[in-house]
Amino acid sequence: MISRGLPSRLGCVLLLALGLIAGALLLPRAAVAQGAAPDISTPLAQLTTDKYDDTEAALGALALSGSPAAAGIVAALADGRLMYSPATRQVLIKTPQGGLVDAATGQPVAEAPPGAKAVRVNNRIRRAIEAASGTLALVNPDPAKRLEAASAVMRARDEAALPALDAALAKEADAKVKSALTLARASILIGKAGVPDADRIAAIATVGEQGNQDALAVLRSVPADASPAVKAAAQDAIAGIERSLAIWSVGQNIWYGVSLGSVLLLAAIGLAITFGVMGVINMAHGEMVMLGAYVTFVVQELIRTYNPALFDLSLLIAIPVAFLFTGLIGVLIERTVIRFLYGRALETLLATWGISLILQQAIRTAFGPTNREVGAPGWMSGAFELGQLSITYGRLWIIVFAMFVFVALLATLRLTRIGLEMRAVTQNRRMAASMGIRTNWVDAMTFGLGSGIAGIAGVALSQIDNVSPNLGQSYIIDSFLVVVFGGVGNLWGTLVGAMSLGIANKMLEPYAGAVLGKIALLVIVILFIQKRPRGLFALKGRAIES
Amino acid sequence: MSNALTPQPVLLGKSGLVFLAVVLGAAVLVPALNLLTSPDSALHVPTYVVSLLGKYLTYALLALSVDLIWGYVGILSLGHGAFFALGGYAMGMYLMRQIGPRGVYGDPVLPDFMVFLNWKELPWFWHGFDMFPFAALMVLLAPGILALVFGWFAFRSRVTGVYLSIITQAMTFALLLAFFRNDMGFGGNNGLTDFKDILGFNIQADGTRLVLFVLSALALALGYVLCRFLVRSHFGKVLIAIRDAETRVRFTGYRAENYKVVAFVVSAMLAGIAGALYVPQVGIINPGEFSPANSIEIIVWVAVGGRGTLVGAALGAVLVNYAKTYFTSGLLAPYWLFMLGGLFVAVTLFLPKGIVGTFYDWRRARAPAPEDLAPDDLAPPDKLPEPKPAE
Amino acid sequence: MSATDTLEPDVPVEAIAKKDLTEALLYLDGVTVTFDGFRALNSLSFTVDPGEMRAVIGPNGAGKTTMMDVITGKTRPDKGDVFFAGGTTDLTKLDETQIATLGIGRKFQKPTVFEMHTVIDNLRLALKGQRGALANIFRRETAAEREKIDEIFETIKLSGHRDRLGGALSHGQKQWLEIGMLLAQDPKLLLVDEPVAGMTDAETAQTAELLREINANGHSVVVVEHDMTFVRDLGVRVMCLHEGSVLAEGTLDQVSANERVIEVYLGR
Repeated sequence: MISRGLPSRLGCVLLLALGLIAGALLLPRAAVAQGAAPDISTPLAQLTTDKYDDTEAALGALALSGSPAAAGIVAALADGRLMYSPATRQVLIKTPQGGLVDAATGQPVAEAPPGAKAVRVNNRIRRAIEAASGTLALVNPDPAKRLEAASAVMRARDEAALPALDAALAKEADAKVKSALTLARASILIGKAGVPDADRIAAIATVGEQGNQDALAVLRSVPADASPAVKAAAQDAIAGIERSLAIWSVGQNIWYGVSLGSVLLLAAIGLAITFGVMGVINMAHGEMVMLGAYVTFVVQELIRTYNPALFDLSLLIAIPVAFLFTGLIGVLIERTVIRFLYGRALETLLATWGISLILQQAIRTAFGPTNREVGAPGWMSGAFELGQLSITYGRLWIIVFAMFVFVALLATLRLTRIGLEMRAVTQNRRMAASMGIRTNWVDAMTFGLGSGIAGIAGVALSQIDNVSPNLGQSYIIDSFLVVVFGGVGNLWGTLVGAMSLGIANKMLEPYAGAVLGKIALLVIVILFIQKRPRGLFALKGRAIES
Repeated sequence: MSNALTPQPVLLGKSGLVFLAVVLGAAVLVPALNLLTSPDSALHVPTYVVSLLGKYLTYALLALSVDLIWGYVGILSLGHGAFFALGGYAMGMYLMRQIGPRGVYGDPVLPDFMVFLNWKELPWFWHGFDMFPFAALMVLLAPGILALVFGWFAFRSRVTGVYLSIITQAMTFALLLAFFRNDMGFGGNNGLTDFKDILGFNIQADGTRLVLFVLSALALALGYVLCRFLVRSHFGKVLIAIRDAETRVRFTGYRAENYKVVAFVVSAMLAGIAGALYVPQVGIINPGEFSPANSIEIIVWVAVGGRGTLVGAALGAVLVNYAKTYFTSGLLAPYWLFMLGGLFVAVTLFLPKGIVGTFYDWRRARAPAPEDLAPDDLAPPDKLPEPKPAE
Repeated sequence: MSATDTLEPDVPVEAIAKKDLTEALLYLDGVTVTFDGFRALNSLSFTVDPGEMRAVIGPNGAGKTTMMDVITGKTRPDKGDVFFAGGTTDLTKLDETQIATLGIGRKFQKPTVFEMHTVIDNLRLALKGQRGALANIFRRETAAEREKIDEIFETIKLSGHRDRLGGALSHGQKQWLEIGMLLAQDPKLLLVDEPVAGMTDAETAQTAELLREINANGHSVVVVEHDMTFVRDLGVRVMCLHEGSVLAEGTLDQVSANERVIEVYLGR
């Protein structure tokens, strides 16, 4: 809050002058009167003269007074709640509740003296108020407030704040705040005229360690007349920061890439089952994702209507519901259409495209063509900083969820009975059938599993994309590319494919822009498939082509 | 596997002659009914219907081009709309240049959208499009060269079946994204429109529309004869052999990739011509023509009519589009997508050979030599694990 | 036929491979192929002379089909040399099409004819001649070609089925059509993979006769076959493969007397 406005240059100078005077006058006295409340009678008296100059001077003195009452007085002035009586020379604070308090004593006052009026404020005074409250925040009892104030001072780099900084530093006990204050002080020293080279270079080192954009701005402000040694030190520090920032920005892009990769993985992994394991080109796969998103919408609507307290759990409830619903639709599609088309991959493409049109239109008829609002539970929103990375909880949870789905699917295929049967049917249908595996049932379950996973992908995607009948369309091409790029029939390939496409996309974006980056990626994948027609993790061997 | 009919001993079989008679008959009859009957007559064909029919004919030519590679070579292109659109854009660029100073902004050279974007001069690739012969050449070359480059890479690396389908889809999707960008210089989102005249004739005039219709019919007829000639030549026999047993073809000493590239390029050029005839009749070309959904819709036309039968492809295009016009304009409009989707499913399940293919089967079944029937079309289900090329 | 020379059944493989490179039609030396750690061919070496017919036997997984894949360019060896026509051509540098045009024809284990083409079109496609895409658009059949096709019809005894679809033929007829297609290609070397699988005894005998006739006309032939009666009918030099290399070579009697061959393949 305090950081918003920078005091004008005039304000700075005045404040500096006042600060020096006040420092000369007040500090020794404050030192003498240690333990006792510092005397603020002089500034209070200045507030009653109804002159802007006096008000401004009073603010400067109050800021450095160290009096516990100062913050209240400045805040009251800012809110227009500070009164004075020309007759009694009293300064009064109107409390927000409407009562009156004597500013000097802190005692409540029953009735305002006659002729009391508000201390006037103009723009100059407002700037002085901001500066004063900034300075006061440096000694706020709350360490978080002090930290905030320190970094505001650092960004503002107001030389006038130096005495206040020194005063605050002397008293500061909290290590974190102390280092922030040191940093702020160093930032100011770097730009200040007449600082000895040694101090300035030490300051540059302190700032250089910070290594972020703010530090970079500070280091770039080394005055043109600084000595070569100072300039060289600043250049080194800038280069160091730029290197580390470049690395952080690559890191940030990788993070975005992993996040996009997880979305692609979620969208594609069900396809890896239906396409990779069964050889069915399910063009309705995207619609399964879309159905999953609509299930989330319906679940949230029901929760809002019947039990709003459960809202934070709505996604967790939607996951099994979406899995079962889309899985069931998948089984239905397999039993009524797909099973007649096994071995004719390209014809499954046509039939499932038809199904996708029907599903889209069905949803459009039921829910309308416009976007539906799916809310985010509390734990999905917000962000935190990790080094120079900004990480949103939404993305983080989607990555975690994608990994969870991947591992769960891998475990299902490896460790369960149905997984074993699926693999058996994939490898040798006739042999599996002759060993008593109900291949029809396995087909239906496999397709259901692929569709169900698409459904739970839809639950996750409802958090980051518009929930509309067209949701699936935007994922289908990408999903196919991921599966084909990774190598059909290989879940690990799908994982690597999704992550590499996601990361490549986000790395290309800063250079080419979103659309050109996407086009470039499509071209790269097209070229890649020509180089390795069977993907990254292609199976090799005689059986492949025979 | 396929459902092509056994080649007939003559260039144009009975069905081919019937087809040509119908198309060329329409080329005479429709303009005649438009010009010679009074508007009140029950037989009168209004001009807007002529243009509508002309649009169907260009779709039929497009379907023919898809059938040439899907039905006869087994290449399922999910991006053929891109070639159609490129041909259309080449024609659209010519038509834009013909507008001249009659645009909203009155710039003698720059099309309106460039003036709007504050461009000062014509991008290099717009030069030459003021000349019809150059534009006509580009109608062939733009799709042809893309097909050549794409096909050369893809077929040489033996990308087949589903993989090929998916990268053709990625190709048209990439072009869709590219043409949506204003910076590309093709009018962005709005595409090219507001055409005034073609070769000096007012594009809105009834006479021009009739001529465009007749040209579309002629193009379809010639396209049919060309495709028919190709698939019945030794070249075409190799194509069919590639479709059914590509490995065997290689071991027989043919460069399968070269055959595929030639067929792909011819097909792309036919699609380009279809696009070029389409644009003046509908009056607009925009990036939507590149959308993957459009390309997949072409596939269903061919599937409905009968893949591997040229007549069927053309018939399917006309039937499905007639149905589309009929149903999307009336009360049933909200249900059209249900119908189209249902059509996809029904055709693959119940009519895998399409209308014409099924008709041929029925006719052959009544022939005296039943053992000559094509074998059952269904591949054994034990081939499941490997996604196969068009079988 | 050059089948029965003086070789002992237990002659080391290396000695066979050292046969003069310039004399052999086909020369394989130390060919190794690995699929995901599995050695399909393990330093396989042998030669085929011009005009020779050779039978190859061996248990499943011995590498017979992989050997054919390597010779026809479908699979690239990890190691080893494959030379054709007296060492003039390195087959490992060529692809399937180039090798086919050089004069190596192959019949697959599963009969693959062009099912949607008539029998005569199958032969026309295989017939030696123009292979270029553009040139074949305007190609017309010559009288010589027609004669050659008639000749092949006589040899494979399918004259009555000219206009039937390839896919409508019986299994045995397809096998013969495929051999006919090989003949039409007029290769120097024919690789024939299990030509009598699924045939009746009479058909098997006819096929042996057919192959002998082809061989007598100057074509070298390598036949892979499990059917011992058929191999005996051929009456040619036999090579037994096991785990990707040659286990024994010689006349059928010599090979079938070999202890190792009995152990791994023939059984006692």
